[in-house]
Amino acid sequence: MLDFFTIFSKGGIVLWCFQGTGVTESFTGPVNALIRSVILQERSGNNSFTHESLNLKYKLDNEFELIFVVGFQKILTLTYVDKFINDVQLHFRDRYKNELEQRGVIKLLNHSFEFEDDFKVLLREAEEGSRARSPAPMRSFKESEKSQKTVKSMIEIKGGDKEKEQGSKKSKNTKKEGNHLLACCLTASKSPKPQKPKEKQRRVWEMTGSSTKDLDYSDRNGESSPDCDQNPDAPIATVCLNTTIERHLFMWNFVSAKKSGGFGGMFGMLKGLVGSKSLNLEDMEPVLEKMRDHLIAKNVAAEIASQLCDSVAKKLEGKVMGTFTTVASTVKQALQESLVQILQPKRRVDILRDVMEAQSQRRPFVITFCGVNGVGKSTNLAKISFWLIENGFTVLIAACDTFRAGAVEQLRTHQRRLNSLHPPEKHGGRTMVQLYEKGYGKDAAGIAMEAIAYARNQAFDVVLVDTAGRMQDNAPLMTALAKLIAVNMPDLVLFVGEALVGNEAVDQLVKFNQALADHSMSDKPRLIDGIVLTKFDTIDDKVGAAISMTYITGQPIVFVGTGQTYNDLRSLNARAVVSALMKA
Amino acid sequence: MAGNMDENTDSGISLEPYIESVRQQLEDQDQIFLIGVLVALAVVIITCVFLKYFLTSKTVRSAVLLVGLCDAGKTLLFSRLLSGKFKRTQTSITDSSAPYKVINERNTIWTLIDLPGHESLRSQYLEKFKSAARAIVFVVDSAIFQKEVRDVAEFLYVLLTDAVLCKNAPTFLVACNKQDITMAKSAKLIQQQLEKELNTLRVTRSAALSSQDGSGGGSVYLGKKGKDFEFSQLPIKVEFLECSARGTKGEEAEADIQALESSLAKL
Repeated sequence: MLDFFTIFSKGGIVLWCFQGTGVTESFTGPVNALIRSVILQERSGNNSFTHESLNLKYKLDNEFELIFVVGFQKILTLTYVDKFINDVQLHFRDRYKNELEQRGVIKLLNHSFEFEDDFKVLLREAEEGSRARSPAPMRSFKESEKSQKTVKSMIEIKGGDKEKEQGSKKSKNTKKEGNHLLACCLTASKSPKPQKPKEKQRRVWEMTGSSTKDLDYSDRNGESSPDCDQNPDAPIATVCLNTTIERHLFMWNFVSAKKSGGFGGMFGMLKGLVGSKSLNLEDMEPVLEKMRDHLIAKNVAAEIASQLCDSVAKKLEGKVMGTFTTVASTVKQALQESLVQILQPKRRVDILRDVMEAQSQRRPFVITFCGVNGVGKSTNLAKISFWLIENGFTVLIAACDTFRAGAVEQLRTHQRRLNSLHPPEKHGGRTMVQLYEKGYGKDAAGIAMEAIAYARNQAFDVVLVDTAGRMQDNAPLMTALAKLIAVNMPDLVLFVGEALVGNEAVDQLVKFNQALADHSMSDKPRLIDGIVLTKFDTIDDKVGAAISMTYITGQPIVFVGTGQTYNDLRSLNARAVVSALMKA
Repeated sequence: MAGNMDENTDSGISLEPYIESVRQQLEDQDQIFLIGVLVALAVVIITCVFLKYFLTSKTVRSAVLLVGLCDAGKTLLFSRLLSGKFKRTQTSITDSSAPYKVINERNTIWTLIDLPGHESLRSQYLEKFKSAARAIVFVVDSAIFQKEVRDVAEFLYVLLTDAVLCKNAPTFLVACNKQDITMAKSAKLIQQQLEKELNTLRVTRSAALSSQDGSGGGSVYLGKKGKDFEFSQLPIKVEFLECSARGTKGEEAEADIQALESSLAKL
């Protein structure tokens, strides 16, 4: 039933793997996709992932730095997988504790983990356990409890209306049903009246003040769970036994932990300082709460902050802390690393190199700017064109904002200023910046297409397409934008977002991406490729918007706008942003 | 003008009594006390000098880093170098390190460190280990090199222009891995392609935008201006070699890493 099961170290070496019968494809691809999309993007809050036709579930073991992954077909709904992974993990840890504890990579490389038999046993147990819990066959009406009840007992009587009710019921029934119900009614007269309690009885909890003998479930083997009654098979009985014993052990552990709470606290602190304490969720909870509030105070979107904290908790659960490190410092360190990881670009970001590449292919490099109203698209477009012409590329600005009053004039003013800064005489007689506009009220996608054709004819290096600002819930405008992008296939689609935005960033980006994906005809839709973060000078250290935007899209922040002059264009320094974010 | 002169003389006069009083106090004190103070100062100065000398002395750098893009074959190479065995690998998300005994007369032991190649993890692990690097093995996937030229070149550029690495000048071994695949490019071809790519890259990277707090942007310029970039122009020694971690005769056979092992032996 399972397609594969792998156990590999966080350093990348596969310790043991199992491939289901009849499965020929290698699982390396899907597992790598799981690692890249989930673990590395800090989305490990929920532990399942879908890749093509496979559903992958995983578990991180942070103490020994292992990852357990199981894969099965998406169409199957296997219920035992979660528990199965846990069982396998515990079993593997217990069996290979010595080898894993030494942490020597050479040991891992040289030792061959013969886990086949144990795995097969566990798998068989899990499969049979799930089969036993399959739904019981439906009972027929005669066997059900309802048929045993009398009609009279089902009537809720206040008092005094018994005869009337009974009579009416009888008459109704005789008209409709016939013999069967008549017989029931006849028996009804003989059955005792139901007792209705006069007042609320005081509840008696069975376990108060009782001895521990009552807590001993080992005798009542199988009575606690109803399904165990039906199947007398031996393995199922052992499964039931296991569950009852587990429950019993669990309660004992709980009780003993509570009892030794006093001592545990003091020793726990000392143990924590010396360094053999392993982290669990209760220890991390207060620190994570504080971190979550801190991030939200720094303008990170609320759901992103909680997802990040969950992911950090998953990454640290079970990890053994080093000497003289507190829980707070470990959690902070882990959070800092994951924030830096999120902000690092996942692909190469070098616009000048890509423009040169397009130049060598004799086609213009097309960049499209989209975003909501008033974020700074036209201003940052002008800054980017300044940077490009400083580096010797010719730019064509396509004025596809045909709605806002003054949009075309604004771009014309920028064009004149840029040309006066870089006159044609300095660049061999070529005008560096030209504006392609067709006035107001026309179709933006058509203007963009004509602009790109014009640029190709006139051998411009870059085309910057300025679109109108639009709200993300405005469906017709989103359709128009999606059409512009789908038809013109730009090289780079940049979403312009301001750094002041808070929780709105999540909504904007999700809806923009959704619109672009929905309205494109191809099966590989063009989504947002990069983010321009504007008005960065207006926030001092509340830089959380950068995290929200990169987390949602997974795309890098390509430009950062820090003012309104042409020189106020920067690139993102991940470390500086994260240190500003973590600063108290 | 008169006011200024008055102020000057005033400040001059106000300093003098102070100096006088200090001198008098020093003369009043016991000779032994003075000697004690002088000895204490001398000890402090000597300790500072010693500490500075010890801390900035050349720390023994004995780490060999395995870096490269994702799926280049670093973890398999790591396994082959250490134990000679073939192991299935997945994308690494953390570093692995182990001591590696070199087969030469001196019996040196380097620490072989395998860093993850994924873009989001690269820089933080590099930061951690670059100061201890004695040599860097840059693993390149020779089979899909054509498609990844720009990414490979960018990573190599980042390594070659790093301030710490420029100062320590470790040896660079560019290992062109996956030579067992028929479409694999040879080391010489890869070298030429990288030189051409780095030629363009040094222009675009030095023109890149600086980051928002002023750092970054144009840094070290590789090679010589005016001439086409070549690896021989660099102060760092860069050597190209071919290897195949998987081995040409299937998974169970030996890996073809003789060239790499001999280069590591010569370090």
